[in-house]
Amino acid sequence: MSRLSRPRRLSISALGLAGFIALWEASLRAGLLPGNLVPLPSTIPGVFWAEIADGIWFEVVRSSLSHYAVGVAIGSLLGITVGVGAALVPTFNALHAWLARLLRPIPPLAWIPFAIIWFGVNPTAAAFIISIGVFWINYFTSYSAVRAVDPGYDEVAIAFGQQRFVDRLAKVSLPAAAPGILGGLRAGLGQGWMTVVAAELFGIPGIGQRMMEASGLLATDIVVVYMLTIAGLYALFDALFMVVQRRMLRWQP
Amino acid sequence: MATLSDTPPQDDAPTAVLRAKGVSLGFSGTTILQGVDLDVQPREFVAVVGASGVGKSTLLRALAGLISPRKGKVEIPAGNSPDTRAWSMVFQAPRLFPWRRVRANVELGLEGLSLSKAQRRERALEPLALVGLDEYAERWPHTLSGGQQQRVGIARALAVRPRVLFMDEPFSALDAITRRRLQNELVDLRRRSDAAIVFVTHDIEEAVLLADRVLVLGGGTDDAPAGMRDVIEVALPQEERREQAGFTECVQRIEGLIGTSAADDAP
Ligand SMILES: Nc1ncnc2c1ncn2[C@@H]1O[C@H](COP(=O)(O)OP(=O)(O)OP(=O)(O)O)[C@@H](O)[C@H]1O
Ligand SMILES: [Mg+2]
Repeated sequence: MSRLSRPRRLSISALGLAGFIALWEASLRAGLLPGNLVPLPSTIPGVFWAEIADGIWFEVVRSSLSHYAVGVAIGSLLGITVGVGAALVPTFNALHAWLARLLRPIPPLAWIPFAIIWFGVNPTAAAFIISIGVFWINYFTSYSAVRAVDPGYDEVAIAFGQQRFVDRLAKVSLPAAAPGILGGLRAGLGQGWMTVVAAELFGIPGIGQRMMEASGLLATDIVVVYMLTIAGLYALFDALFMVVQRRMLRWQP
Repeated sequence: MATLSDTPPQDDAPTAVLRAKGVSLGFSGTTILQGVDLDVQPREFVAVVGASGVGKSTLLRALAGLISPRKGKVEIPAGNSPDTRAWSMVFQAPRLFPWRRVRANVELGLEGLSLSKAQRRERALEPLALVGLDEYAERWPHTLSGGQQQRVGIARALAVRPRVLFMDEPFSALDAITRRRLQNELVDLRRRSDAAIVFVTHDIEEAVLLADRVLVLGGGTDDAPAGMRDVIEVALPQEERREQAGFTECVQRIEGLIGTSAADDAP
């Protein structure tokens, strides 16, 4: 495969996106698509502005972000802790191995009934559901990242007087596994957005609930505004994370 | 308070920095090496040679206490200084931590000793200068060549001012030119360090070039583990050893010892 230069690649990508939108707009205007089922792209900016002017946009984004932040933080922290612990402590690994195998295939959304019974229809329930998907991603990536660390590094640490478990955790296991662990964190940031909307469809205030309302009114343009909002927020978070990641892994070739 | 007269006489009874007695080594069912006795004196350089797979690396790990011997005893008398370690090791592959800068790699063994941060820094820069890499202190390991990385590995081991320095084929992965240069540096370095060195190599010329004594391992058969074939004193001056008359003779003698099986010199 021949490689494209960066400006060329970027302009082709932009062209692809613009072409898609133009095609969409044109087919609607030509009557090839039903106008009551698909919004006209050119109306989206206006609708977006109306949502912002009403204060609705900020309100729902703020509330979704808070579910997201709490869910992702708890899920990541627990996932990394349990994953690293399982990789380093054989007894702990054996103790929870079957439990993990049992719970792993259950999709986060299947926990919604319990979330509502335990926490009610409120932000805690949303954060709980979000944290589940994020937990599993972080659990598995950090487990395999730590398992893959060259045992030779541990031998070096021991040869240089770092016999204590905490010393080797901080000086070998975590830094050596950092590329994998950060990869899991990043995947979790994406997974979190997927469950945010689903968790809010059940009436917990946020982007998901607003989209549900809009679809009840057949306001497809509002639905698209929030789809784009999620895409934008994801891109923003991902870009910020990449900056942090690049800084933390600047030792890599 | 100890007075001068209380101090035990040291000159006529130098205390060994490492004592190994009747050491046997093995994995699961099998014994691979048995009956190794070795006393290493302060500042002494002992080379360990033997065929590949005879158990040189395993022996070195056991001498360092990284693994326990199946039989016998290994003792490295503890020092009493809180800012040095009794021993350290240079591994066959440099095994630097890629997530630490060169200086932080050299500081690894100093962490946990009673040294301030500034003292640690100073103690790391000193051996780095010794191996000619003080300019590279703030670099990431992957930006160094293989030979430079191995020198950082040596600096890391020297930083703790060990009484015994274990080296496991430290130069075997390097090209001939770099190896020759690092061998010369090691000869140089010995003059400036107080460490006794136990140096594993499969290169007999290297052993004779560097060591005061050469411990020859061999004699293993399908049903008997290998053992100590002999300990050869290298009675050659350190300067320009390669050019000395006795050099080749000594190398050949060791080659002969490794090549023959134990059965050959049974009476
Ligand atoms: N972890 C292990 N488990 C089982 N057997 C091992 C293990 N490590 C080494 N051995 C065996 O012990 C013997 C000695 O290994 P060792 O690495 O000490 O040899 P060596 O003399 O250092 O060889 P080389 O010169 O090739 O490095 C070999 O036969 C090897 O197969
Ligand atoms: Mg070896």
